[in-house]
Formats: sequence, structure tokens, C-alpha cells
Amino acid sequence: MNGFSGALVRMSYPLKLKDQNFQLHASGAVFWKEKSCLLISDVHLGKVTHFRKFGAALPRHAVHKNYLLLDRLVSYYQPFEICFLGDLFHSSLNKEWVLFENWMARTPSKITLITGNHDIIAPEKFESLGVEQFEELTTENFLLTHHPETRNGYYNLCGHIHPAVRLQGAGRQRLKLPCFFKTEDQMILPAFGEFTGSYTLKPSDKDEVYVIAGEEVIKV
Amino acid sequence: MNQKELFSIATDWFHEQNWQPFAFQKESWKAFLAGKHGLLNAPTGSGKTYALWFPIVLNYIKKNPEYRTKHKKGLKAIWITPLRALSQEIRQSAERITVDLGTQMTVGIRTGDTSTKERASQKKAMPDLLITTPESLQLLLSSKGYASIFKDCSAIVVDEWHELLGTKRGIQMELGLSRLKTICKDLRIWGISATIGNLEQARRVLLGPNSEQLQNSVMVRANLKKKITVKSIIPKTMETFPWRGHLGLHLLEEVVPIINNSKTTLLFTNTRSQCEIWFQKILEKHPEYAGEMAMHHGSINKETRLWVEQAIRNESLKAVVCTSSLDLGVDFAPVETVIQIGGPKGVARFLQRAGRSGHRPGKESVIHFLPTHAMELIEASALQVVVKENAVEDRLPYLNSYDVLLQYLTTLAVSDGFYPGEIFPEIQQTFCYQGITEEQWQWLLNFLVLGSQSLSSYDEYKKVEIEADGKFKVNNRGVAMRHRFQIGTIVGDATISVRYQKGGYIGSIEEYFISKLTQGDVFTFAGRNLEFIRIKGMQAHVRNSTKRTNKVPSWMGGRLSFSAQMSELLRQELYKAAAHQLSGPELKSLKHIFDKQREESIVPSPSEFLIETFKTRDGYHHIFYPFEGRAVHEAMSSLLSYRVSLLSPITCSLAFNDYGFEMLSDKPIDIQAVIDNNLFTPEYMLADLQRSLNSNEMARRKFRDIAVISGMVFTGYPEKGVKMKHLQSSSQLLFDVFRDYEPNNLLFQQAFTETFEHQLEEGRLRMALERIGKQQIVWKDCEKATPFSFPIITDRLREKLSNEKLADRIKRMTKILMK
Repeated sequence: MNGFSGALVRMSYPLKLKDQNFQLHASGAVFWKEKSCLLISDVHLGKVTHFRKFGAALPRHAVHKNYLLLDRLVSYYQPFEICFLGDLFHSSLNKEWVLFENWMARTPSKITLITGNHDIIAPEKFESLGVEQFEELTTENFLLTHHPETRNGYYNLCGHIHPAVRLQGAGRQRLKLPCFFKTEDQMILPAFGEFTGSYTLKPSDKDEVYVIAGEEVIKV
Repeated sequence: MNQKELFSIATDWFHEQNWQPFAFQKESWKAFLAGKHGLLNAPTGSGKTYALWFPIVLNYIKKNPEYRTKHKKGLKAIWITPLRALSQEIRQSAERITVDLGTQMTVGIRTGDTSTKERASQKKAMPDLLITTPESLQLLLSSKGYASIFKDCSAIVVDEWHELLGTKRGIQMELGLSRLKTICKDLRIWGISATIGNLEQARRVLLGPNSEQLQNSVMVRANLKKKITVKSIIPKTMETFPWRGHLGLHLLEEVVPIINNSKTTLLFTNTRSQCEIWFQKILEKHPEYAGEMAMHHGSINKETRLWVEQAIRNESLKAVVCTSSLDLGVDFAPVETVIQIGGPKGVARFLQRAGRSGHRPGKESVIHFLPTHAMELIEASALQVVVKENAVEDRLPYLNSYDVLLQYLTTLAVSDGFYPGEIFPEIQQTFCYQGITEEQWQWLLNFLVLGSQSLSSYDEYKKVEIEADGKFKVNNRGVAMRHRFQIGTIVGDATISVRYQKGGYIGSIEEYFISKLTQGDVFTFAGRNLEFIRIKGMQAHVRNSTKRTNKVPSWMGGRLSFSAQMSELLRQELYKAAAHQLSGPELKSLKHIFDKQREESIVPSPSEFLIETFKTRDGYHHIFYPFEGRAVHEAMSSLLSYRVSLLSPITCSLAFNDYGFEMLSDKPIDIQAVIDNNLFTPEYMLADLQRSLNSNEMARRKFRDIAVISGMVFTGYPEKGVKMKHLQSSSQLLFDVFRDYEPNNLLFQQAFTETFEHQLEEGRLRMALERIGKQQIVWKDCEKATPFSFPIITDRLREKLSNEKLADRIKRMTKILMK
């Protein structure tokens, strides 16, 4: 995601889902007002370090960006709970875990993790830091998962896809932007992580798309 | 044995074949045996292999008088070829000599196609003469104890050096040679090059700009004069000649008599998709050619290509539609006629293709030129001049390519390790790195060891380690293995192999094209109609289909740009037209187009720079005509649109071809303001170019290759199905990460340097702007599209895949133009 410097308040887009109030944030996070819960998907922590460990010399400094972003979100929303919708860590354990431990220690919110396909770090490691882990969560009429899923009677919030859309404008302009991809019974969150790719989806007429344009969330 | 005796061995052999050695062959023998290095300038099919294989063998005979009975084992000479496909032919000519002269020398090939088993046995006992590629040579440098393999090597010959020069494989060669100069005790370095503009520089790059090798070297020129005749195919009825379309298919019937009147005809196209379409269409209209016609391009599987090459030699083919894949090497004596479809874009390429026909000494080469749009007839006229003046272009060598150097240093670290104090002076001797500073060198070493410029406690970067005695070494097996897989990756667009469901490899297509297909889609490839079934790993499964289709894969790399020489010649032809001097048949046939052009606009003279503006349903068109070639136009359009956007915010899309460029916008650009503000000034050119959005996008594409070559992106193990998509997206992301966190990284900066120097041809751009500065700007506000503008405004549309909609669009535009 892009770094954000301006006033945080302009960076989110209010959205009602099943009578609940949500804020779509330009960082890719979603704040659920009634639950005071921050939903974040596909952070892919440790990716830079993983690459470096295998001899790809990415800028070392890039490691810190995710934690800075997380800190700013926590101090702005002061959520009771932070729920990661999978792929919190990119790969196996590496020294970035120390940074995560530090972040856990300074973050007062309750932390839960819906495990994703990339989350291969031993559950005990998360437990020891007090991270609760689930395959999926159901609360109110909402189903929280990593992979997109449809289930009768539930509204699905999920990640995994790293959704993006392509926009075409006059004069042959083209843009590809990460987005929140909302269908009738599902919303896919964009990847939160710095240095993660995206996958282009083609929305149908019924779908709603909220793109992240720098520091703003815009409905298209 | 003295030189005279050695020479008579060689000349005797020639006489036995009823041949006479050429002067240049004797000259090469003499220089080689005198211990000299050199560059041999000789075209394909001139007997250049005998010019250098002979002295290599004679040198061995000289040193081993009992060569008939005793065999001294070990590598004696290396022959580098840029194309694997050529290695068999080179081997045959080498073996012919070693056998006929009764030596016991062995000849071996080592390329990407060589089996693991054979490689292993080669490593135990190297052949005397080794034929290999630049990549395979690097791979040898990555094996333990490589120095002992090369120690008695007496010669290295780099064939088709002009093809390597100006590419990163050429740098790989420079680096490999810098090492061999040290480890081989008695080495002669020779290059063979076709005629290029900068032959002297080619020699300096090969041998090292300040090296003793260069001091002790010669340039041998074959000077084989060959008569080339260019015949343009001029449409009989120009009224029906479309001023658009890039395939030239409307002239298909003109080609038929040419094919019929000749033993074997090669039809050169500029892109692989054009090749596919032409093949298909000829067969459609003339099914009688079935079985007598074939297609040859780089994406078709090797077996088919080899079969086609063999069939040409056997004279069993009437015509072959091909691309640059048949530009190089392999002699095809039966080829009588060559047809060039569309502008060849470069003089050297055109001459090389022309030389494909009438290979027998003394025979004239005939090349037919088939224009794909009217403007190309001007090109044809320029080519007539070319043939007379033999003006060929330069190949611009790279400077300071850190990515290739990092790859090379890792290679050395993987094999025996290296001491910087020993390697640095060797690097400084190369042309590419002659200007490298101590500081940059240290930066590179830090990058290899730390992955950054400073130490950090929790960092886990792992690649090259420094051992206690200061040796740089890779000790991690995983790192070593990944590196060996990566060596010499010539990065192209991600490709997917196309196979029948039951197996059977057809060829490879860019992922970009395949990703747009859905199950059941039919497309044309390798001359067949194929139905797409599914993607599995890195393979696309297909089955034959009888359905007709207009989907033809496009290859992104297919766009060629005019060289500087070609552009200059083209302008001269236009100026003739401007002065109403329609000399050749080509220009004469275009008279009515020039007349039409003059209705609303002008045909610019040397002192004029033309700008046209008009409005169509697409928006406001602004067309500029520098006539400098596609690459320069790409740069200039980017520069100009940036400068225009400074005057007032504007969104525009850019299109360019070899004649000019277009800025298309939804509102008009104030051309008077462009002129008044002197937006064509060469001042601040570089800074402006850097700020223009387009250069950023171009640098991004360059960075992809850099990231792969320098080992920052692993492309995956072959056939293991690690998708290239990963490489694409992650190198894109890498670019952003570097931009945000390490903009001073040498590799990141290299992406921009390469963009400016090689993609945008900064030097040429500057000269073009200076020229425009001296010209009078003529701005014509037109009612409708002019003939000159037409190929540009439609060219842009062709970048996409052709489909019905597109055709409709072009039709509509034709109406606007014609009414």
C-alpha cells in the first residue's frame, strides 16, 4: 500500500453491510464499528526477509513499513480487536518474528488470526504471543474466512485473492488499482502488505468496487 | 614445421576439394600462426569457418609434429556461437579438417541441449575443440577447478560477434574473456563479424580497449563484393492500395509468380505473427503449395525448425515464410530469391537478408521488397540507395551493466571463489567496465556479501561469504544451485509452451497471449488452427481444430525501430519528393499520395518540421513528423507530452511509428504555445525525460531483466512449473520497493541508464532535437487525416489483437480519409 501522511479521516469510506457500519481504509484494512474490530488481510510479514535469506537483496529497510502502518491504524481506530484474515506471515519462521513480537507487546488489542494458506508457522508460536487462531469465524450474520466462501445466511468477509481492477478511461488511459471487491454476499479485502502483488478481477454489474487510489478509497 | 610447410598442408587440402583459398583466409592463417589476435570481417557463407579452424589445427600440428600417431589430450580451442542451431554445421567443418589432415583431434559441442551425461564426460576429458555458447562458457566458469580445463587452450573464436555486441550476452563474453586472458598461457582471441558501422570498436570491445591483445591484433576483411538488386513490388492499381494495414496481404498475388519462377524463395517478415498470417493466407489462396511451403520462426519447436532448414538444403521446399530466425548462419545454397515483407528497419539486416539468396560466388542476390503500406515505398526507395552505398549501422555496446557483473562475480564465487584484488584489474580491462570506480566496485562487493551497504544484526541475507583469507566464496549449496540455473538467462517475456494433450510440443507463446484465451477458443499457431483446452503449469494444452479463426498470437518483442542510418536515408528520399524529384519507380508510384498530402498539408523539405492537427471521432490528433525512427519517437513523444502537460494539465495517449508520433487527446493542444515556448529544446532534455511518466514505465520494464540477471529474482527451475507470473509481478513490486527505499541502488539506476541510452537512444534524440531547432516549424491545421498521418493513427490500433471491431474501426477511418 501507499504510505499515508494526510489526515486519516479522509482516507476511509463508510459502508453499511447487513445493518452494520464499516469503514474501508486506504491501507486495505476494514474497521467494523459495532465490534470495534479491525479486519486486515494478507499482510505477508517476513516476505522481504524471506527473499533476502534466499539471496535476493531487497532493500532491508522495507521490512519496517508494515509495522509502521499497523501502529498508525491501531492508534487511530483504537480497536478492541484486530482480526487478520490469513496470510499474516509470508513463509517459514525468520528473524522478522522478533519485530512481530515487539509489535504484539506494544499493541493492546486482542489479536486473532484466521489461518491462510501461507501461514505455515507453528500454531504454538502464535499461541505463545497470545494470538488466537481459527479456521474461520462466524459472528452475527458474518462469516470471516481467508479463502472466499459462500454460505447461506452469511455475509462473507475474506482475503486471499489480493483483488485489483483495471480501469479504462478516455484517451486510452489505463490503470490497475487494488480494491475492495464487494458482491451481494461477499466482500474481498485487498492485500494489506507492502510488497505483495495483486490479481485483476472483472466486476459484473451487480458487484461494487472500491479502489484504493493513493490515500483515498473511491467507489467506481 | 615452418610456416610454409604448414600453409601447404592447408592449400593442398583446398586443392583436393577443387577450391582456392581466398586471400582473407590466408591472411587469417598467417596472423593467427604469428600469434596475433584479431577480428575477421566476413559474411555468412564466405568460408569464414575455414579461415580460423585451419590455423587452430595447424598450430597444433606445429607443436605436435607426431600428430598422426600421438594425441595430446585437453582443450585446445573454443568456438563461441550465439545460436545453438549453428553448432552442428560448425562441428562438421571442423571435423572435416581434423579428419582429412589425419590428426586425432576431437570436436565436441556443449550447449543447453547437451545431455547431463555428456557434460559429465566432457568435464572428465574435454574435447580438443569445443563449440559452445556464451552462457555455456559462463557455466564452465562456475564449475570447480575450471582453470585447469582452460590452461592449454590456444584460441577462442567468437563467431557472429556483431550479434553479441550490443547485448548483455556480449558483456558476458567480455567478462569470460577477461578471465581466460589470465588463466590461459598462450591464448589467441579472434572474433568474426558481419559488416557493421563500428567494426573498429567491435575489435576494441572484443579484445579490451587498453589491452596488449589489442596492440597485437589485426583486422582482416573479406571484401567479397556481391551484387545486390532490390526490386520493389509496386501495386498495379494504387487506387485500391490501402494506406494502412501492416501485413501487405493485398499484394499476396504479386508474390505468387515470384515463388513460381524460383527454386526456393524465402519470405522474410518482421514479426512472428505476421509470419503466421502470411503462411496461412498463402495456403488458403493457393492450396497447391501444401507440402512445398513451410514456416520458420523462433517460437516453433526445434525439430520443426531443423527439419525446415534441412528441407531448404534438399531443395524440397518451394517457399519458406520466416522471421529473423533465418537471418543468421546456415548456408542455404538453393535459395534463389528473397522477399522482404514490410520495411526491414535496418540496413544491415536488409543486406544480410538479401545475401541469403544466390549464395554461390559470383551470383547476384535478388531481394524483392513488398511494402505493407504506401509510406514504405519511400523506404524501398531509400534501400536502393543503401545497396549502392553500403551504409550500415553501428551496434552500440553496453557500458557499466552492473547486473551482468554481479552475475559473473557470483559465478566465480560459486566455482573456486575469487580474490577481489585479482579480479578487479581484469574487470577494468574490459570495455564495458573500463570506467568502473573503486567506490562502485566496493558497492558491488558489499551487495554480494551483505545484500546492502551496511551490516545489521537481525539480517539474514545469505549469498557470498568472505573466507578468512579474503576469498569471496559461495558455500551454500542452494545458492549455488539457484545461481547455476540462472546463468545466462536471456530474459524475454514469460513464455508458455504449447502442447497437444497427448504430448507433442508445438512451440512457445507469450503468456500474455494465452492468458486472454478461454477454453474452446481457436487460434493460429505454427501454421495450424488450434483449440485451446487449458493451462497446466507452464504448458498450454491444445487440440487441432477445423474452425477458422482470426486470432494470431502477437509477440511483444516484435517491434523494430529504424536505425539512425535508415532514418537519414528515408529523410533524403522524402526531401526528393518535397522538391518534386520523384526519381525511382517507387517514388513515382507514390505521386498521387504526395499530391493528396499537399491538398491540406505539405511534404516537408529539409528546412521544415511538420506538425499536423485534426479532429476525428477519436478525439484531437496532433501529429509530429521527425522521421527519426520508432525509438526516438517514443522518447520524443514522452518528452513533449511531459512539457505540454506543464503548460496546462492534459491527458493524452501516444502512438508512434518510424515516421512520426501522435498525441491523441480529448481536447486540443495549443500548438502555437508549443512553438512559442520552444518545447523542442534539447536543454534540460534528460531531466525532463526522467520526469516524464513514460520513462518510468520503460525503466520498470528494463528493471525486470536487471533483477533477473543480477539474481534478485529467481525465475524458477525449468519445467518445475514455478510460474513466471511470479517473476513478473514480483519484479514490478521490486521496482517500487527500490524506488521507495533504495533509489540510489546501482541496479535501480542502471534501469534508467539503459532506458535512456538503449531504449530511447538519448544521443539520437538530442541530435534530432537540435535538428528540429534549426528547422522551421510548419503547423497545418487540417480538416481530416492526411496520407502521412494515416499509418500512425492506425498503427496504434494494430498493437492489439485483430478482431472484427478493430476492422470496423479502421474501415470507418478510411471513409473519413477518403471522402
